[in-house]
Amino acid sequence: MARKTPKKRLLGLFGDFEQAIKVIIDIRQYEIPGVSVDNITIKSPIEHPEIEEILGDRPCHVSKFTLSGALFGLIFGAFFLAAAQANFLIQPQGGKPVITITSNLVLIYEMLILFGMLATFVGFLFGAGLMRKRSTLDDEMISLDQVGIVIEVEDENIDPVRQLFEKHHVLEIRDRELKDQ
Amino acid sequence: MAEETHLSATKDIDEKIAWAEINSDVLRSMENPRMGYWLAVVVSICMLMVGVASEVYQYNVGMGPAQLNNPHMWDLYISTFVFWIGMSHSGTLLSAILHLFHADWRKPIYRFAEAMTTFSLMTALVFPIIHLGRVWNMHWVIPYYSDRGIWPNFRSPLVWDAFAITTYLTGSVLFLYIGMIPDLAICRDNAIGWRKRLYTFMSVGWRGDDRQWRNFRKTYLLMACFLIPLAVSVHSIVAADFAMAIMPGWHVTSFPPYFVSGALYSGCAAIITLFVLLRYFFKFEQYMTLPILDKTCKLTFAIAMVWSYLNLIEFASVWYGHDIPAKEVLIAKFTGPYSPFFLGMLFCGSVLPFTLAFEKIRRNPMLLLPISIFLNVGMWLERYMIVAPTLSLAYHPWSWDVMWPGWVEWGIVFGSFGWFGLLFLIFVKVFPSVSMYEVKEMVYHRRRVVYEDAELRAHEYKKGASGASSAAPATEGS
Amino acid sequence: MSLVRNFIEDWSRYRRSIDEGGFHEYEHMWGMVIDLDKCTGCNACSVACYAENNLAVVGEDKFENGQGMHWMRIERYWDEPNIGNERVRDTQEHGASFMPMMCQQCNSATCEPVCPVSAAYHTPDGLNAQIYNRCVGSRYCANNCPYRLRYFNFFSYYEDSWPSPLDMQLNPDITVRDKGVMEKCTFCVQRIRSTKNAAKMEDRQVVDGEVQTACQQTCPTSAIVFGDLLDHESDVHKLWHKHQTRLGTTKQKKDNPELRGYRLYEQLNTEPSVTYLERVRDV
Repeated sequence: MARKTPKKRLLGLFGDFEQAIKVIIDIRQYEIPGVSVDNITIKSPIEHPEIEEILGDRPCHVSKFTLSGALFGLIFGAFFLAAAQANFLIQPQGGKPVITITSNLVLIYEMLILFGMLATFVGFLFGAGLMRKRSTLDDEMISLDQVGIVIEVEDENIDPVRQLFEKHHVLEIRDRELKDQ
Repeated sequence: MAEETHLSATKDIDEKIAWAEINSDVLRSMENPRMGYWLAVVVSICMLMVGVASEVYQYNVGMGPAQLNNPHMWDLYISTFVFWIGMSHSGTLLSAILHLFHADWRKPIYRFAEAMTTFSLMTALVFPIIHLGRVWNMHWVIPYYSDRGIWPNFRSPLVWDAFAITTYLTGSVLFLYIGMIPDLAICRDNAIGWRKRLYTFMSVGWRGDDRQWRNFRKTYLLMACFLIPLAVSVHSIVAADFAMAIMPGWHVTSFPPYFVSGALYSGCAAIITLFVLLRYFFKFEQYMTLPILDKTCKLTFAIAMVWSYLNLIEFASVWYGHDIPAKEVLIAKFTGPYSPFFLGMLFCGSVLPFTLAFEKIRRNPMLLLPISIFLNVGMWLERYMIVAPTLSLAYHPWSWDVMWPGWVEWGIVFGSFGWFGLLFLIFVKVFPSVSMYEVKEMVYHRRRVVYEDAELRAHEYKKGASGASSAAPATEGS
Repeated sequence: MSLVRNFIEDWSRYRRSIDEGGFHEYEHMWGMVIDLDKCTGCNACSVACYAENNLAVVGEDKFENGQGMHWMRIERYWDEPNIGNERVRDTQEHGASFMPMMCQQCNSATCEPVCPVSAAYHTPDGLNAQIYNRCVGSRYCANNCPYRLRYFNFFSYYEDSWPSPLDMQLNPDITVRDKGVMEKCTFCVQRIRSTKNAAKMEDRQVVDGEVQTACQQTCPTSAIVFGDLLDHESDVHKLWHKHQTRLGTTKQKKDNPELRGYRLYEQLNTEPSVTYLERVRDV
């Protein structure tokens, strides 16, 4: 596949979350060529659950990890304990149960939670895209109080985006050449 | 100044705090330890050394110098173990339960409560290990494959303990860590030297993307949902150590809820203690405000009443039941040689919390410090009164006895406080003890939802009243 | 694969055992009868036990601290009016009564399920065994024993219990326990084992009376009778039968008020294997 036109990643820093939201609303409304809402990333110092209404539904797979981890813990716990008890050289005597279901339930419960939590954590690391090489397009002010918007655009479409940013009192604009994917 | 105190008396947090100020205040608390800090570290290490020395002695000589004897096979070790496990329920309560209830006021204070959870769990973990007669064989409690075909006994509540505590420690460390990642990113952006490397590693590339926040929110919620039943099950299992035994005074059906409520109670009291100390030493007056302290005290009071009720229920069910040995143990608790401890426990646990019913006291940190410490003394006595009298006065009259713990036991219990203190002291200087990003959230929401809306409405109302533009929607969004 | 096979086999074995009722898997079921009316409280059984089982002599201080190791102990009780009376001696004429206590070898023992490492378990002989090598010393078993018959090695007693020539009298058939281990009466399991081995060599069953516990052997009034409860010809079985003592009950019902025989704390459903012969009086 031939290389497309060179793409750039644009970071606009805003002093206020409201202004950043207005930028995205404008992008939705005025359809800048080559820019779709799906290509926008918002970087914010705090959590803004309300941006999902503007950005649209984006997938979040953590709960699938959680469910599979919990199920694994449940099934593995049940079989592990039963197998351990069945293969125990010291067997209870006198008609007492070898595999004690009632007390195993307690342990299965703990293992369900343990594996559920571990899987949730792993799912979080994958889902949030952590522990991987980052792009250098970032600013330390984002962890303080500024909101950043990152947009991927082709070279010829950069100017309208810049204009849009400036219309909403952007503090700073940076860009980076997008490397070969 | 007068205005400031007035403000802090009504609002959980002042919405006018600049975000940069939040960052700098919390980051400042992590740097430049003062003389007092080093003094506290040295004191903690000395206390820990007493514990270590006692344990070394016990390791070499045996359990005898601890004054354990035939009826009293468990004593301070197990009661202190239960005490520390109980303390560990505070963080879970504040972060998980209050998170699900959207109680915003937990945000400035949950971080150190969670750290307390983790560290008191690490302290508690020490006790079931060192109470073993043969510590060097402690790994036999862990289920691992052995060629000899030997496994731990999965029917034993002590093995349940091992499972539950492992799970709880893993869970609370993960919960503490996940909740701290955005803050570690802030630290990373402001640190230099070894701290920079540490925080870069620990913040695992947090950049505050919307994707990261979305996953973060979901993960945090799921972890909270796991942690609540886990915390309840952990202390129920600790209660099962006693309730599964047949001894009078232990074999009580209501023990699991009783233990859980006692755990939340002592945890809350410990939060108040540390709240007051951190507020004073780190000058966190702006974040750990008096209204939050007030709310924490109300919560403590409510839990204290639940605990007192369960206590009464236990007495009543023993009194009206036909279990004569259990009744004898109960009577002996009230009148026998242990009665000073038992009545002390009832006083500290059920009478003292009534001081929290007064708002003046709830907003007075200097008074709350001793009160909260005495609440925890009461809770420690409660655990001691669960373990000791039953062993002294069990079924067989021949073995009836009274005992006083030996110096080795006291030394190790003393040392455990040093161990906890040391861990906590290291924590507050390495990690932010107030959640910066969540305080920002709190400020943001207050400013936007409460403050700006009110201003807007006032503004619109004025405009409407003056008749300049009566068509303006005065109550947008209502 | 053996994991799955064991799993299925054990599962079916358990299901079968429910249908067929308990106790059927035992090869033997060692039991005891102690006639309290014959006991004079002379403590000879206790001494014999010390000699047979390498029990540590702990010294006066530790004994007073409750750290003694007497697997077999004579408990003394007084009639209520005489409590606190200075002149009362521990004789039966003055209302003292004696209670020889050793591990009751419960069939549903409370100590077994609570041991975290399965050091307390039940043998196919119906004995409640303690595996010293496996014990980690959590002491949960002793806490959960309503009879308080488990003893813990609080110190390395062997270091000064048997000063030099005395260590020559240690029983070679049984270990000397180190610190941190729980121990208790075994019904002289070393004697049971050697007798069973001898019988097996000669290709025969163990005969009643062939195994004698140290306390039984020493008792001057023959108050202690020991044997296999499954063997219907054994003295111990006959005595249980004669006094209408039954397993699997929480209260012994007697046809005749003259019949004695009760087990200790039967209401806790621990199923002890030791019957005490004494009339139960409601005071």
